[in-house]
Amino acid sequence: MGEMIYVPTTLEEALQIRKETGARPLAGGSDIMVQGKRGIGLCPELPYSVMIISGLDELKGITASEDGSVTIGALATPSEIASSSIVPWHVRKAASGMGAIALRNTATIGGNIGNASPKGDLPQPLILLDAYLVLASERGERTISVDDFIIGAKKTALMDDEIIKSVVIPHSSFTYSYYRKIGMRRANAISKLSLSAAMTVQNGEITDFRASSGAAGPKVIRSRSAEDIIRGRKIDEIPSLKEDFLSAWNDAISPHAMPEYRRHTTRRMLEYFLDEISRGAEPGIIGEE
Amino acid sequence: MLSEIVFYVNDKKTVFSGNPLTRLIDVLRDDLHLTGVKEGCGEGECGACSVLKDGKLVTSCIIPVGAVNGSHIYTIEGIRDTEKGKCIVDAFVEGGAVQCGFCIPGMVMAAYALLESNPHPDDEAIRQGISGNICRCTGYDLIVESIKLASERGGALWEK
Ligand SMILES: Cc1cc2nc3c(=O)[nH]c(=O)nc-3n(C[C@H](O)[C@H](O)[C@H](O)COP(=O)(O)OP(=O)(O)OC[C@H]3O[C@@H](n4cnc5c(N)ncnc54)[C@H](O)[C@@H]3O)c2cc1C
Ligand code: FES
Ligand code: FES
Repeated sequence: MGEMIYVPTTLEEALQIRKETGARPLAGGSDIMVQGKRGIGLCPELPYSVMIISGLDELKGITASEDGSVTIGALATPSEIASSSIVPWHVRKAASGMGAIALRNTATIGGNIGNASPKGDLPQPLILLDAYLVLASERGERTISVDDFIIGAKKTALMDDEIIKSVVIPHSSFTYSYYRKIGMRRANAISKLSLSAAMTVQNGEITDFRASSGAAGPKVIRSRSAEDIIRGRKIDEIPSLKEDFLSAWNDAISPHAMPEYRRHTTRRMLEYFLDEISRGAEPGIIGEE
Repeated sequence: MLSEIVFYVNDKKTVFSGNPLTRLIDVLRDDLHLTGVKEGCGEGECGACSVLKDGKLVTSCIIPVGAVNGSHIYTIEGIRDTEKGKCIVDAFVEGGAVQCGFCIPGMVMAAYALLESNPHPDDEAIRQGISGNICRCTGYDLIVESIKLASERGGALWEK
């Protein structure tokens, strides 16, 4: 009859259980409960032990630090993230587009990253913003970038004795921002394709430029070498650099990662972002009605 | 470590000492006989099992009871006789929002959560508010109209 289920009340207790039993954390349960589903009136069953961490205060809350970074507790829900004024725009935008209201009140950011589904909405903007995780274990804490943490579809660098404690987003301030998710249905739509982009311009010079695309392959795609083609150049050089950038971006994607139409749509979105800027768009969010 | 889960359902203290992975919906329906909570998909997709957890709309089919320790849960049974609950239920009846009725308890909970946070929603906000609730009968228009009616009728009720 199933595996052990634990309900720790403090992080210390959770880390001890994690170390001794390897039980997997259940935060909101919106992935795990569906995986273990057996039917009406039946308790879900899973092939591994579980610890329900929903009650751990150490993993809650959203706070800003003096250096401008924002720390989001692993248990923060998309609703909390979307309505927090201190969370960077790209992440708020992605959180507000997840599922329908009830799902946004249940899912957690730690679960979205821990699940490492290529369809997950939050890793994409987090990777754009160079966010990193604080992983806790009885050995102490370590940090790892979200990009390095997610190794591939459903594969992470989480060790058997670790729990995601929080997500830290370093400070950034962009002149132009873009986010777009193309889903299947309106509500409870799991992301099919999403793109974030951002650019900082100072006196006509592009001091920062980034793009990341989600649900396009096993991992979020971000190509720093492609970004370098545009970063450091002048705004009026965009038209002449655009093709090089787009083809470098395309090369960064493994040939099997995306079907042709997704590749094409992603390219069109990137092109739109760059065209709007070189056309002299108002600073702010590109492409919002 | 918790060996039992203590929470409140419609203001009544409930102590659960079985498997903490038990779905909240099963505790509500089977142990507490709150059968207004319906099970459609069992996967968080249809909203039939919607309840309020600490004032927020959630689907009780994907929440393990071990995650609600200390929480206050309200089901349709707990709100339907309150002033606000009656306001919504009456509006649904008057507005002709109900056909087979299966989705309605969940819809009413979603409407309740919506009006609590946004007393005078426009059409778009109403459709957003019930976007996680699937109705196979009505085509939603009469439900949207009824929620608007509840908002108008309730007036100041929703502002406090
Ligand atoms: C109806 C429905 C609609 C959905 N729509 C979307 C959508 O639009 N976009 C989207 O991205 N996802 C969606 N999902 C998927 C899911 O809701 C998200 O992935 C969610 O963020 C998972 O969080 P959770 O806490 O509920 O996960 P859980 O099920 O609790 O956990 C998921 C995984 O993460 C691990 N984990 C959780 N917390 C931690 C932690 N603190 N440390 C280490 N590991 C941890 C767990 O062990 C597990 O492997 C949807 C799911 C449903 C049921
Ligand atoms: S039964 Fe819970 S959402 Fe469908
Ligand atoms: S009235 Fe039948 S499902 Fe909505």
